[in-house]
Amino acid sequence: MMKDKNPHFSFRLSCLVNGQETEREIESSRSLLEFIREDLGLKGTKEGCGEGECGACLVLVDGKAVNACLMTALQLQGKELVTIEGIKGRDGGLHPLQKTFMAEGAVQCGFCTPGLIVASEALLRRNPRATLGEIKLELTGNLCRCTGYEKVLSAVEKAKKLL
Amino acid sequence: MPDFIVKPSTLKELWKILPSLPAGRRYLAGGTDIVTADNCGAESSECWIDISDIPGLALIKETAGSLFIGSGVKISAIERSAAAARWCPALAAAIPHFASPSLRNMATLGGNAANGSPCADGVCALVAEGAYALLALKGKKRRLLLKDLFLGPKKTALKKDELILGFEIPKRRHAGAYLKLGPRAYFGISKAAVAVSAEIEGGTIKRASVALGSVAPVPLHAARTSAWLVNKKLSAETIAGASEIVKAETSPITDARSEGEYRREMCGVLLERALKSLAA
Repeated sequence: MMKDKNPHFSFRLSCLVNGQETEREIESSRSLLEFIREDLGLKGTKEGCGEGECGACLVLVDGKAVNACLMTALQLQGKELVTIEGIKGRDGGLHPLQKTFMAEGAVQCGFCTPGLIVASEALLRRNPRATLGEIKLELTGNLCRCTGYEKVLSAVEKAKKLL
Repeated sequence: MPDFIVKPSTLKELWKILPSLPAGRRYLAGGTDIVTADNCGAESSECWIDISDIPGLALIKETAGSLFIGSGVKISAIERSAAAARWCPALAAAIPHFASPSLRNMATLGGNAANGSPCADGVCALVAEGAYALLALKGKKRRLLLKDLFLGPKKTALKKDELILGFEIPKRRHAGAYLKLGPRAYFGISKAAVAVSAEIEGGTIKRASVALGSVAPVPLHAARTSAWLVNKKLSAETIAGASEIVKAETSPITDARSEGEYRREMCGVLLERALKSLAA
């Protein structure tokens, strides 16, 4: 089917991005990660493996953590997207997770950090009293090759007290 | 990625637009398998049909005799369903072993089945549960035992454009277990997996259904082991006997994930542990 004659080649995406109503005309085969990084210019969300294995690209869609590398932008139609740039404290400053990640030294190279914070935020929204075991299970889809996870787990545990 | 993606909002609209789409087309549900396949060059359709928002496919519904789980229900929604926990204990036990929390927010049981992989955790559990697959192609619907949907690795009995509407699980009180051996405790593809659904009365097995993952070309219903268990006491002797018999039903391959002989042995070990957990 010729691109210029194909009514399905592009579509008007209408969604909420970090609290802002957003409309864009984009190709229907655009991945959510391309939409976030290239069309919206939000570079906090990282591309790691591109296969859903590493969790560097996690974002919240309607409050649930998803791998942006395996979603299409079309699947965002009418939904709410929150990226790492939209995760903030109540006062508009740093979120408790961002503060404790810094304080605990849970960030080294930093590539996995946005995904880890998004996954932790999804858990704490659902279960603000999550146990250490529940935190570990929630982070099974996030790879970190620097920290050894101990400092990450301790940061999430400490953030619970600041919520 | 394909050249383009269409997103019908109802089944009626889906059947209407099909003839206008190129022959190289596939359904897109959660995307966790198809996008990965696309990224590594194993998927090259011109067009994907996104069925993720079609109403009716994302329902969990109880009727008098069965539980219906729509093909588009996210795995994480099954995790939160009290009805699924009650009527599908083997499936409920499989869910923590299904990929990662974020992939469970995306993946669906319909996609897990249509992908046709012998290692699909959700499918292996549903086969043990004696689930039926409800299929539709335009106006025509059919219902077949889920175990009969699988013909070989990545090969299913689905006709072109046929859609999985959902799964029907007979409502009967039973115990269930799912044990998986992967490369690590969580979030890995199985080397071997065992699902058991059983009705046990006064220590005697009245009905049993054992399914195996990653040890045959399809998610395998272990028919001989299942039949052998019926009317036996759930004793150490029975458990040891079943764990031997089940190994003969497997036909595992050696590949990057594990060795065939190890997979076969581990099936016996996993079944032993699963049956012990039901006896406890």
